[in-house]
Amino acid sequence: MTDTVLQLANVNKYFGGSKAPMLHAVRDVSLDIKSGEIIALLGSSGCGKTTTLRMIAGFEQVSSGRIDLGGRAIHDQPPGKRGVAMAFEGYSLYPPLTVRENIGFALKSSRLVKSQQQQQIDDIAHLLEIQAIMGRYPSSISAGQQQRVSLGRALIRRAAVTLLDEPMGQLEPQLRAVLRGRLKKYLREHGMTTVLVTHDQTEANALADRIAVMEGGVIHQFASPAELKHRPATRFVAGFIGEPPMTLFNAEFAPTHSAPGQFAASQGQTGRAGGNGCDIILTDSEKKIRFAATGLSDAVTQRLLALGTATIGIRPHDVRLSQVPGPGPGSEQGENSAAEFPLTAAITANQWLGDQTHLALSLDGLPLVAVVHRPFHQAVGARISLSLAADKLHIFDLATERAVLHHGVWVS
Amino acid sequence: MGGGAILRYSLHRLAILLVVVFFLFPIFWIALMSLQTNESILRIPPSMVFTPIFDNYQALITGKLITQAGSLDLPFMKNLFNSFFLSAASVAVALILGVPAAYAFARFKFRLGENIAFTLLSFRFAPPLLVLLPLSLIYQTIGLDNSYVGLIWVYQLICLPLILWVVRSYFEDISPEIEHAYRIAGHNWGQSFLRIAIPLARPGIAAAGLLAFIFAWNNFVFALILASADKQPVTVGALAFVTASGIQYGQIAAAIILSILPTLLLALYAQRYLVEGLSLGAVKG
Amino acid sequence: MDYLSLNRISKSFGKEKLLDEVTLGVAQGENLVIFGPSGGGKTVLLRMIAGVETVTQGSIEVGGRDITFDPPEARGIGVALQNFALFPHMTAFDNIAAPLAARKKSQSEITDAVQKIAKLLKIAQVLHHFPKQLSNGQKQRTALARALVARPPLLLLDDPLRNVDAKLRFEMRLELPRLLREAGATVIYVTQDYREALALGDRIAILMGGKLLQIGTPRDIYEQPASIKVAQLFGDPTINIFDVTQAVRENGQDVHLTLGGGVIPLAGATAKAVRQAAHAGKKLWLGIRPEAIDFVWPGEGPGQGTGEGSGQGPGQGTNQIAHKNAVVIAAKLEAVNPLNERHVSFLTTQEGHDILCSRPADEGGDPNQLAEAAKGQVKLQFSPDKILVFGGDDGEIMAHHDDAAARDATGDATGGATRDAAMVTA
Repeated sequence: MTDTVLQLANVNKYFGGSKAPMLHAVRDVSLDIKSGEIIALLGSSGCGKTTTLRMIAGFEQVSSGRIDLGGRAIHDQPPGKRGVAMAFEGYSLYPPLTVRENIGFALKSSRLVKSQQQQQIDDIAHLLEIQAIMGRYPSSISAGQQQRVSLGRALIRRAAVTLLDEPMGQLEPQLRAVLRGRLKKYLREHGMTTVLVTHDQTEANALADRIAVMEGGVIHQFASPAELKHRPATRFVAGFIGEPPMTLFNAEFAPTHSAPGQFAASQGQTGRAGGNGCDIILTDSEKKIRFAATGLSDAVTQRLLALGTATIGIRPHDVRLSQVPGPGPGSEQGENSAAEFPLTAAITANQWLGDQTHLALSLDGLPLVAVVHRPFHQAVGARISLSLAADKLHIFDLATERAVLHHGVWVS
Repeated sequence: MGGGAILRYSLHRLAILLVVVFFLFPIFWIALMSLQTNESILRIPPSMVFTPIFDNYQALITGKLITQAGSLDLPFMKNLFNSFFLSAASVAVALILGVPAAYAFARFKFRLGENIAFTLLSFRFAPPLLVLLPLSLIYQTIGLDNSYVGLIWVYQLICLPLILWVVRSYFEDISPEIEHAYRIAGHNWGQSFLRIAIPLARPGIAAAGLLAFIFAWNNFVFALILASADKQPVTVGALAFVTASGIQYGQIAAAIILSILPTLLLALYAQRYLVEGLSLGAVKG
Repeated sequence: MDYLSLNRISKSFGKEKLLDEVTLGVAQGENLVIFGPSGGGKTVLLRMIAGVETVTQGSIEVGGRDITFDPPEARGIGVALQNFALFPHMTAFDNIAAPLAARKKSQSEITDAVQKIAKLLKIAQVLHHFPKQLSNGQKQRTALARALVARPPLLLLDDPLRNVDAKLRFEMRLELPRLLREAGATVIYVTQDYREALALGDRIAILMGGKLLQIGTPRDIYEQPASIKVAQLFGDPTINIFDVTQAVRENGQDVHLTLGGGVIPLAGATAKAVRQAAHAGKKLWLGIRPEAIDFVWPGEGPGQGTGEGSGQGPGQGTNQIAHKNAVVIAAKLEAVNPLNERHVSFLTTQEGHDILCSRPADEGGDPNQLAEAAKGQVKLQFSPDKILVFGGDDGEIMAHHDDAAARDATGDATGGATRDAAMVTA
């Protein structure tokens, strides 16, 4: 690819010697980052994301593999010669300089005239809402302010690659929400190629064009936020991405033998009446929970039966709830309700968050999370009917943990 | 690894080797000297080839120094014991007094607190010789001259400020939240001091104790003026090697080796706690 | 009778006043969330109740007993601090056992209690580990276990989910109510995440700049915030606020506001207050939450709601517009951003007001297509019930609406479920 700016090829990092490493912190990481692209390295602490960033910056040696910037190998060069700017999680401001001098430091060597420099510094100050503290010293400002100054110092350089290590971790949620939008706008306007490290997927989703989800030093998936959500490549990604993430179950697939009436009705809706159906059996609970997999094509059904066992996942927004447990007055589902909502669960938490409601449910002891976009009037302890539509499921191979099926479409 | 990397690696190792040789060579040379006679030490040109003898050590341990001028009594082992006893007791007293004081200075803000702490540190500013003359007069008056108690007391000038200031900064590094959590759990502040603050500051206490021990061990002037022969530590006792018939280099070397040993062993022992501090790592959160 | 009462509590450091006469009562078994921006005094207040911070003025009573000057170890309160504050030189087991050891329990009692709470919190397998060997999530659970193990009647939790990652935060938020219910304690929970506040509080106390600004149920506070400052603390994206000082129109008895070519009728106490404020030359603001605004989709007039037909069943389309009386305004669509299963649309009105509108991604249609068809100009609708009017320099709410009963009847019992949950707790 011609417009690749930053390329990592099979980068490894061992701590404690490569022969008998104490820690294989980064494993065969390969990334291609395009010019002007914003990417995020997302994962929990210890997943190798910060180590990867520090290798790009030059603060950690690459154990093996190569890093190219603009077609030039940089992994053997000292940090100062790489042409990267970095905002540190630990701020690391120059204590004897004021906030203004800290931010302007990188411009000293530039050929900009004084007034242009001041203009740029003021723009950054405005962007990060630190105008009021420009004359103060780092020791006299709060942690959140220090972090914004550190961010400003990295942004103003407009380096070939800007590296941001948890740039907003210390900020308050309200401010963080505001700055996310502004930061993205700034990076876009100046076409800045950016690598962001974060453990906060809200931040990653809001800022990044593509996100590399890391765990145990490995990149599980490197894709757009929408792709990660709709087509998670591995079981780990499925359980990690989403607010809240999807619920995962171990399951078996078995042919629908006796084809009870209620299943026939639901299969009728999908136009496959009398076909060879497939049941999904959740195997983690003491009482095996069995329901029909509806809405799948025959080919997919056959492949599931051949697979036998798998991990299945469902997004909280895809769990379909019947407000009223079972058929009753006021329910439009009436007689069909049991067919449409074959499972019942007890509510263990019902949390209204203003614009949505998060429900924790217990399916005979199996936890399940559901989200609806409105208040939900059932008290904790109440039982409700629900369905897990097979065409909304994500299915993962038990051995490889890789996805085999998303929303009824087999992963080729 | 490319050729450049191998070269860089080799140069790196060579540099480390040079530093090690630079620092350890004197000790190594003294160890060689301690196994030779005065004549072979003073050979011109010096040589590393000789027949090792243990006469020097034997003389020190038996207390009989045989020179050409005749035999001489040497209370070296007594001196060594004095050094050890004085240093250990001084550090013990300084720890008992200094650690709680350091905790108080670190945790509680009280009137004149900073002034008191600074005054204690200022004891280290004055040249010891300046204090010594009045001190020896006072000691003679109150009968503390030439006593272990008197020496240990004076040694507090060396040990106490050191322990106070080093340990204080360790206490300040421990998050008060951890102690708060312990108190909220139902323990009083004394328990919180003993079971939380002290264990967490242990690396600092070990480091300060070790340093104080070394400073006390190496002290010369206080002991020279305030102690007579039977209370003298090795630092003063070593003067005996400058005899009428010349300087006994072999014995001096052996004495150095013997007197390094206790501090060396102590340092190796204390290292366990120093390293523990590094690996505990989570003191701040 | 309140189990915990704070009577005019103040805290000063030198001349700086961190807390200013905070008076607060918490009923036995209640979960009270203290919420506000950092520096608002939340943590200081909690630390004063715990006894690790002195009280400058006022008194604290627990169960009718004045504990203002008791040392922390005499208060018998369970506390989980923000940074976990685990004892680094003790195993997870000994950390959790500390409150029991202080109460001189026998070894077997301690072992039983620790095992039980560890099982409940899913850390039984790491009890022999030291804190540095624990993941952040395990540390957080250990700190929680230590707070809960002695079954204290009063539990203080200082932003316990702040330092754990997003996934765990979701899990714990859903799990905490059950744990707290089982602990049976009166709980004070400090957070700076509005979602936690809404999800976990029976009531929420808003603390800002050392002052208690409002206290009420999550629903009260979300729907009837006392001021703009309080309103803006909730929601992502946060509430739309428009300056409508110049937009008040009077027509005999009728008072209304104009916005984007639409007319927002005001009624009852609000109308009266707005009329007075307008005459007094006070500033006026209109507030409306982004999720209360919907597009007017093609094929339906403002007379047809959009909240239905999403497969959620009848009677629960509570965000749906009260379409009969919906206010319709014109706006220009500037951008649409996906935000966690929702579309957040950024629009501007003809007056130049910015409007954010947040809709579920799986309902209605694509706002971009809507805008394309209409050359960027779209129509928005919202129910006049959903508006808030603020006035004066501080942006105080003009009047509380008096239609709560009506909304209950239509099934819009926002927060009702949370209240029900609270009943179970009690």
